[in-house]
Amino acid sequence: MKTTRRSIMAGGLALAGTAAAPGILQAQARPPASRTVRAVLHGDIPTYDPIWTTANMSAYHGGMIYDTLFGVDANDVPQPQMVGKYGVSDDKKTWTFELRDGLKWHDGTDVTTADIIPSIRRWAARDGAGQLLMQRVKDISAKDAKTFTIALNEPFGLILYALGKTVTPGGFMMRKREAEIDPMQKIDKIVGSGPFVFNEGETKPGNQYVYDKNMAYVPRAEPASGIAGGKIVKLDRVIYMNMPDAQTAVSAVQAGEIDFYETPPVDMLDQFKDDPDVVVETLNNLGNVGWIRLNFLHPPFDNVKIRQAMLYLAKQADMLRPTFGDGKNWRECGSLFACGSAMENDANEGWFKGGQNIEKAKALLKEGGYDGREIVLLQATNIAYMMNAATVLAQEMRQAGFKVRLEPMDWSQVVQRRASKAKPEEGGWNIFITSAGGGGMGNPFTNSGMGANGEKGWFGWPSDAKHEELRQAWINADTVEQRKAIAAQIQENAWNFVPHLYFGQWVQPAIHRKNVTGWLHVAEIIPFWNVQKT
Amino acid sequence: MTGTIVRRLLSMLPVMAIVAVCVFLLLHLAPGDPAAIIAGDNVTAENIALIRAKLGLDQPVWKQFLVWVWALLHGDLGSSMFWGDPVISLIAQRAAPTLSLAFTTLVVAVTLAIGMGVLAAARVGTWVDRVVMGISVTGFSVPVFVVGYGLVFIFAHQLHWLPVQGYRPLSEGFLPWLRNLTLPSIALGLAYVALIARITRTTMLEVLAEDYMRTARAKGVAVAPMLLKHALKNAAVPIATVVGNGVALLIGGVVITETVFNIPGIGRLVVDAIARRDYPIIQGVIMVFSGVYVFVNLLVDLSYTLFDPRVRG
Repeated sequence: MKTTRRSIMAGGLALAGTAAAPGILQAQARPPASRTVRAVLHGDIPTYDPIWTTANMSAYHGGMIYDTLFGVDANDVPQPQMVGKYGVSDDKKTWTFELRDGLKWHDGTDVTTADIIPSIRRWAARDGAGQLLMQRVKDISAKDAKTFTIALNEPFGLILYALGKTVTPGGFMMRKREAEIDPMQKIDKIVGSGPFVFNEGETKPGNQYVYDKNMAYVPRAEPASGIAGGKIVKLDRVIYMNMPDAQTAVSAVQAGEIDFYETPPVDMLDQFKDDPDVVVETLNNLGNVGWIRLNFLHPPFDNVKIRQAMLYLAKQADMLRPTFGDGKNWRECGSLFACGSAMENDANEGWFKGGQNIEKAKALLKEGGYDGREIVLLQATNIAYMMNAATVLAQEMRQAGFKVRLEPMDWSQVVQRRASKAKPEEGGWNIFITSAGGGGMGNPFTNSGMGANGEKGWFGWPSDAKHEELRQAWINADTVEQRKAIAAQIQENAWNFVPHLYFGQWVQPAIHRKNVTGWLHVAEIIPFWNVQKT
Repeated sequence: MTGTIVRRLLSMLPVMAIVAVCVFLLLHLAPGDPAAIIAGDNVTAENIALIRAKLGLDQPVWKQFLVWVWALLHGDLGSSMFWGDPVISLIAQRAAPTLSLAFTTLVVAVTLAIGMGVLAAARVGTWVDRVVMGISVTGFSVPVFVVGYGLVFIFAHQLHWLPVQGYRPLSEGFLPWLRNLTLPSIALGLAYVALIARITRTTMLEVLAEDYMRTARAKGVAVAPMLLKHALKNAAVPIATVVGNGVALLIGGVVITETVFNIPGIGRLVVDAIARRDYPIIQGVIMVFSGVYVFVNLLVDLSYTLFDPRVRG
């Protein structure tokens, strides 16, 4: 056969067509853009197992594909989700739960109590609230495929809240196969029963994570509220895009290439004032609280007077303004519990209401016998608010007479270093900066950092017997009013012994295209059910 | 020739072994703990220690090194500590965008740069030469991300000609593929253009001053054949060397360019892995990049035989 230019071109076209065919077929199978939402969230999903890790992005992923037995509504009240009927015995020690009809795993099999019971145990092994629950559990047993009971040694008023909270790790239910995997190891299959199905074929780890509508999902009849109510999916597909560069993400929203961006830098928000196609919306009204964590194990913060001095020298506004600009998206807050939460109160806030008082701080340092030793302050330079807050705090501490050494590093190094109990001069630390979601800080129960149980507790290891007694009293209280009263006592005591301090509270407005509506305002996760694109 | 290739391929082995040792030690001796990152914020030190043990990170470094090397010798780059996917499949997933970007950048850069270098040499001392050199200095001095943002602002934001970000595979069509790669290729290629154009100009000037070129001019050879057929071919060896060495520049630039333009390539994969301390991915990608770099240099060496018959001998 004679080789001609025409035959070479024809062959080339045929080859290109063959190479492109799978992609074309795949593209044809994809849902249309009008039924797909592309979202850039605050980070990458580190792992698909939302129990193995407490990373928020894994909780976002978990919220898409897994369901929970209960879910807190917009008023932070737990409502049944996978559960249909439920009740408690008169002595409040035996809870009976019946799974609602229509629950199926994404592989088509029925959700049964054989899945639920090991799921509860696996979650409880990794979750602080779950551990509190398990301390009181005598037995969890199945009555039949749809009914199970939790028998307690003593009443636990927060059981439904623990099972339905949004704070990571949430009580995500998994198949028996995955639920029986060691909670210290990650699961190897991603099969949930939630409103979205994880599309592993189109997912490219580190780049995009694809979630398709679960056509077999039966939502509850109640309207969506918080993470409770009917999870009605109005989209065919949601794609989480991992886009680390903020400028690129903002430009992509403006160009209509993505529909939602969770964490645009606040100094870029003004440019959307006149953009008719982009909406700025705060979805998490409680936002985040900035933490200044002190190490109780080593001098000088093993001394209560030195810790009290910190309350008087740290000016929250100075630490927030460099990152969050004018006061539209942040506030100063003197409450131990997130401002805006049900437990917020003003007990023992004299230090806060009086404002920064360097002279008072100096006096407390003298009273506490500060010996001029160097304070090691860990500074995560790759996270703007942490870097700025640490810089300002170090300067304010120096003004009060502290000798401070900032140790710049990335956040990965901070999370390693903060776990060290060594002396600061031997690789340990005195202070690190972090933040926690306001949703988890609305009580003394869901956030590990709210405890003061010494070396068994969270980094910094504060220790105070009265604090722990009051936390238990809060957990055992029957009514919200009782809890509020105890919360005030906890705060009264806390601002005396100073487990840590805060540098204010901020909200992070999101941006989205105007034609994407129906966003639910939830702390800690972003639900994509109820969202529609017009 | 075959013997040369075999010898060069064998000489890659000690280089790769040294790279393997350095990469492993640098990563494992540097601070940072993947177990702490996996565990998240709301955990205790005890939980982190348990996860570390499950991942084998509590083992001595020499033991971890031997396990990794043994797997490497069996062609296994390991699996991501976070997602669990094999590193080789993650690299394979990301290879097409990076290769596409490198290819388009090379084509744009080499074509433009050699043309500019030859032109500058032919018009040395004139405004043409000064403009070419001005572009070269600017291209080499301005960081890739600044050029990238500038291009996005003009061509995506203001003119709406091209997309802001992303990658479309070739299977979705040649034009979408090219549209998404145009701005990143220009941004990445500018530094490369500068490098190659400058070396082309310098080498061409040296060759043009040779006696045989004067002879060619005296014999009445036309300008274009003289420059392209006689001068450029004799200037090709240093140019090919710079193109090869520039692969390192390209690899470094790909990392930044992929971030600015949100291209899901190998550069992004390794940057994200570094932030998380996902050791198997970092080690795997660096080994692959090193292998590519050494291999490209081998190709460059072999290309000398095409340009210079003396090397063949």
